[in-house]
Formats: sequence, structure tokens, C-alpha cells
Amino acid sequence: MKRLRISRCASQLLAHQPAPRRLSCPCAPALQRHTTPHNHRIQSRFQSTLVIPNELGREELLVEELDGTTDSTSTPQAEQRESPSPLPSAAQRSAKLYALRSRLSLRQGFPLETLARTLVHPSADPDPAFNNASLSILGSNLLGYYTTEHLLCNYPRLPMSVVFAAQFAYIGPKALATIASEWGIEAAAAPGAEVDPGLLQFKRLRSGDSVPEVLRRQVPWNWNVTTTNRILKSDAFGSSSAPPSPHELSGIPVPIEEAAQSFVQALIGALHLHLGSPLVKRFFRDHFLSRHLDLSTLFDFRTPTRDLSRLCAREGFEAPVARLISETGRLSRHPVFVVGVYSGKDKLGEGAGSSLDEARIRAAAAALKGWYLYRPLEVTVPSSTEGALDTSAWKPNMIDCGEVIV
Amino acid sequence: MSTRSPLIRLATKPLHPPTLPLTQTRHESTTRRHRKLLFLPGAPSYTPSTATPTLIFNPPSSAPNIYHTPSKFLPATDKRRLLYASALTRSTATALRTASPSTASPGTPLTTPSHPPPKPSAPLPDPVRAPYEKKYHVSAADVEEMRRLRAANPRVWTRVRLAERFGCSQFFVGMVAKNEGVAEKRRMEDEKVRVGWGRRRREAREDRGRRREGWGRDA
Repeated sequence: MKRLRISRCASQLLAHQPAPRRLSCPCAPALQRHTTPHNHRIQSRFQSTLVIPNELGREELLVEELDGTTDSTSTPQAEQRESPSPLPSAAQRSAKLYALRSRLSLRQGFPLETLARTLVHPSADPDPAFNNASLSILGSNLLGYYTTEHLLCNYPRLPMSVVFAAQFAYIGPKALATIASEWGIEAAAAPGAEVDPGLLQFKRLRSGDSVPEVLRRQVPWNWNVTTTNRILKSDAFGSSSAPPSPHELSGIPVPIEEAAQSFVQALIGALHLHLGSPLVKRFFRDHFLSRHLDLSTLFDFRTPTRDLSRLCAREGFEAPVARLISETGRLSRHPVFVVGVYSGKDKLGEGAGSSLDEARIRAAAAALKGWYLYRPLEVTVPSSTEGALDTSAWKPNMIDCGEVIV
Repeated sequence: MSTRSPLIRLATKPLHPPTLPLTQTRHESTTRRHRKLLFLPGAPSYTPSTATPTLIFNPPSSAPNIYHTPSKFLPATDKRRLLYASALTRSTATALRTASPSTASPGTPLTTPSHPPPKPSAPLPDPVRAPYEKKYHVSAADVEEMRRLRAANPRVWTRVRLAERFGCSQFFVGMVAKNEGVAEKRRMEDEKVRVGWGRRRREAREDRGRRREGWGRDA
């Protein structure tokens, strides 16, 4: 059901004025310099409307003239009633937004209005011109692109399931929510026009309520969920069900993780629009790739010895042989065996265990990890040559023939 | 078959402390030879060949780094192959220059990474299990025969007996001539035994399975 906009009711009450429209672009006041910063604690101000045709000549803009001389207590209330989220003009008065911009080392040219807009989740404001849905779609695609190219170029032999797990660890919902909390993002108790725009605006789940149906539903991508299908059809994490579109979440209560995730994605999208891709890539490197992820813990081999023999047969190496490098306490309660897997005279991996089988299997798993975690020395990610006509700096990346399939 | 009671058998058994290794330890016949045998050379970085000060690199023994790709796994174009090859040449030269006792050869408890690397002629450590060649000798007729025997009398022609007769592994017999009825019956018997287990035994089994899964997962 579509919710009736309160702004319509308010405009009916204020019959003497033409229907006031909010600014179509959140950064318009900053660009037009019609507003001057003032102390927001002084509620007394005078509002008048001024009709300015914008570039398209279709929209009327409501421009506030602020001088703080005359008092009008009813107008701010009407303004509060008409908007479910803070007005873009309030961004210039928010100390939290200034602090956040400085904390993230963004340029002074990055408009605070856009930063405020990235903090508005569709559940708080269903209007797509004022929430962060569009920016978060752009940002999630950019994040997926940069993470995937980093993983695939730096670790060309990673199995697909490990790539998916690594993507989830870098830019999954939990990781993005953690990043947002590390940036010091605080959530508003409830969204509204009177709330500080530096707070994360979303409609909270009430205590004891279950997660909404849109987030819970499991729509399979296809009936045959294979790895190939996941690569082609699924999202960056290879999930077996489709995530909800940000526009679907408008007006329904969501968990804080969902809102924080959309903020981080929207911030990346906004940075891309305002600062361009080189700075976004630097931002991505500083805030996302700098997070330590031990890829070797993402593997889960069921039959490492069989996989390793298949690998050696495929690559034309001699068949792997497990050899006992050293041992201690064979007849004691806590023996330790150190076993190496050799192919010919070369050692492929080494493992220690309290039984010969354990050490052998661990050594095979270590050898497989040594194969899969190969990292080339010179890597040129595709996005580094974006927009450049000179392709002399480009070096082709290694493409592996794929993981071992038994 | 012995008719003696277990107590008598225990008394007549040679008394071996169960914690002692069964392998025999042989010492040299003279003290000098024995001391010479046990002499361990210093780490190569402690005994530099030049008089100028050099870097001392003598790390404690630890598990190898996973991210250190073995040279066999490097692509042919990788520059690290050359580096590894030059390091191998240098270490082989060092190994041939210094004498190391047989007690410190690889496969013995006294070997450490700080010792000179093994000579190229040194044997590799012993295999954990005897290496075998796959023969691929079972023909289609053999497989049919195996299936027939297994279906005719599964109690007599078990996986073990079939594997012995045809010279293949039990796993292979299970692949080509699996008897679902026997497997199901065996599973029921095991389940019946498992029901009688107490909490400690059940949890110990579950823990063992959990640790087994960790073998392929941990670093």
C-alpha cells in the first residue's frame, strides 16, 4: 500500500501558498549559495518562497531566506511534518557531518548534503530523490567490482567458493556494518526532519519483532544452483537467493545492519559521482583492502590427499608421496609427527599432527593451499587503466585453468 | 590355542615397560667414536666462510608459511624460480663444503632447519606408507565376476576377500560391487551399538569427528 505523503496534507492546510516542493537536488543550496549558516538552536526565522526555474524549468524550488530577525514558530513545525527525513539544508548545520567528513579525510568540496543523503535509508524516507537507494546500488556494484578484481588478479588460482567467501568477508553486510561502526556512525532512535542529519536514519525493528518478510524470503536464483550458475546469475557473494532491492525496503522496519550496509555502499557511490574513480579507489584501498583477511583460513578440504594427487596428475608432476620428516613420542600419549608431501625430490607441503594420518592429511592440505594461494609478483588490475588511451602500462594478468575437480 | 588362564599368561610374559621404544639403540664401541657421532656442526650462518661480518640468520623451527609457494608450483614465467634455483645452488655448495654427521640427516630427530641443507645425494625421508603403483589390471570380466560373487553370497565374499582375490583395494570393490542390503544391515547393527553408548563415549566420538574435519580446514 502506498502511504499518503504528509506533505500533501500540510500543503492543503497552507492554502495560501503554492504547494512547496523540496529541493530536487540536495546539493543545490550549497551550489547556489542562497543559504547562510546560522545557529540552529535559534528556532525563530522567517520563511518565504521564491520561485526559481531550474535548468529544466519544470521544478519549483523552495529557497529559504534566513535572517533570524522575525519569529515564526509554526513554520518549522510544518516543515517537520512534511519531511520524513532531515532536509538537505540542515546538513550545513550538523557538526556530526563535518566531523564525519573530516574523519574520513574527504575533500572539503564533497558536499555535506550528499553525505547526509547517504545516511537516509529507504525505510526512513521512501522518496527515491532523498534516500540513498540509488547511491547504494551504484556503490555496491563498485565495491563488488574492485574487490573481485583485487582477488582475481592477486590470487588467480583461488577456488570459486573461496572467492565468494573472501568477497563476503571484505564487503559482506556484516563487514560493511562493522566498517560503519568503526567510522563512528550512530543510529537515530527514529527518523524525522528534526533529527540531526549526521545520524543514520532508518526505521528500527521493534524489540521482539521478526525480520520483515522482504529480507527473510528465499527466492532461489534458479532451480539448479551450481557454481557456474552462481558466477553468472548470483550476486558477488554467490548467495543462493536474491537479496531485496533497496527500493523494496521503503517504509518497512529493517535491522541496523541493513541500514549501515546501505550507508557504506551509498557513500562509495556518492564518492564516485563527486570525486571520480581514482579517489574512490584510493578510499577503497585505505578502508576496505587494508582490513586483514587471512585467506588460508577460508579453505575447507574434505579429501585433500585425493585432490593433491589429481592436481599432480593434471599438472604433470610426479605422484605425491608422504614422507616422515621427524617424529617424537611415537609410543607416548602425545606423539607428534611431522610429515612432508614430496613430488619427486621437491617438497610441496608440510604438516604436523598427533597421528600419521593427521600429519599426512594436513601436509596434503598445506600443499593444496600452497598451490591455490599463489600470488604473482606483478599485478595490473583492470580498473587502473580505466579511461587511459595509452595501454603501454598494461601487463596481462595470469589466468589459471581452474581449481581441481575430483 | 592356549588353555592357560589370562593371569598365568600375564605372569609368563616378558616384562617390557610399555613406554620404552621397541627400536634398539646402538652406541659406538668407544667414547671417542660416540662423541664424534653425536657432534653437530654449527649453523652455517654462525660459521661464515669469509672474515667480513655477515648476517646471522638462525630462525627457530616453525611450520612453513602457506603463502610461500613451492618452486614446483610456480609458473614457468615467474621470477622466483630463478631466485630459488640460485639459493639451491648456494646451499648445495655449502652442504658439499661442510661435513655433517649422519645423525643430523633429514628424517632423524636431530635435524633442524639451521643445519646445512642436505646434500643432493642424501636420501629423502622414509615414506609414511609404502608407495605403490596403480596397476589398472581389473578387466570388465573381472568386475562382472566380482559382482556375481558378491551378489551370490555376500557373507562369504566380503569386500576384504574380494579385494584379496582380485588384487585391488577394498574401496574399488565397494565402488563396483556394493551390496546395499549388507551395508544397510551393518549400519543397523552399528546404530544398535551406538544407542547403548553413554554420554562420554558418544561425545568423545563426536569430538573425534570434529577434529577430523579440522584437518583439512586449519592452516
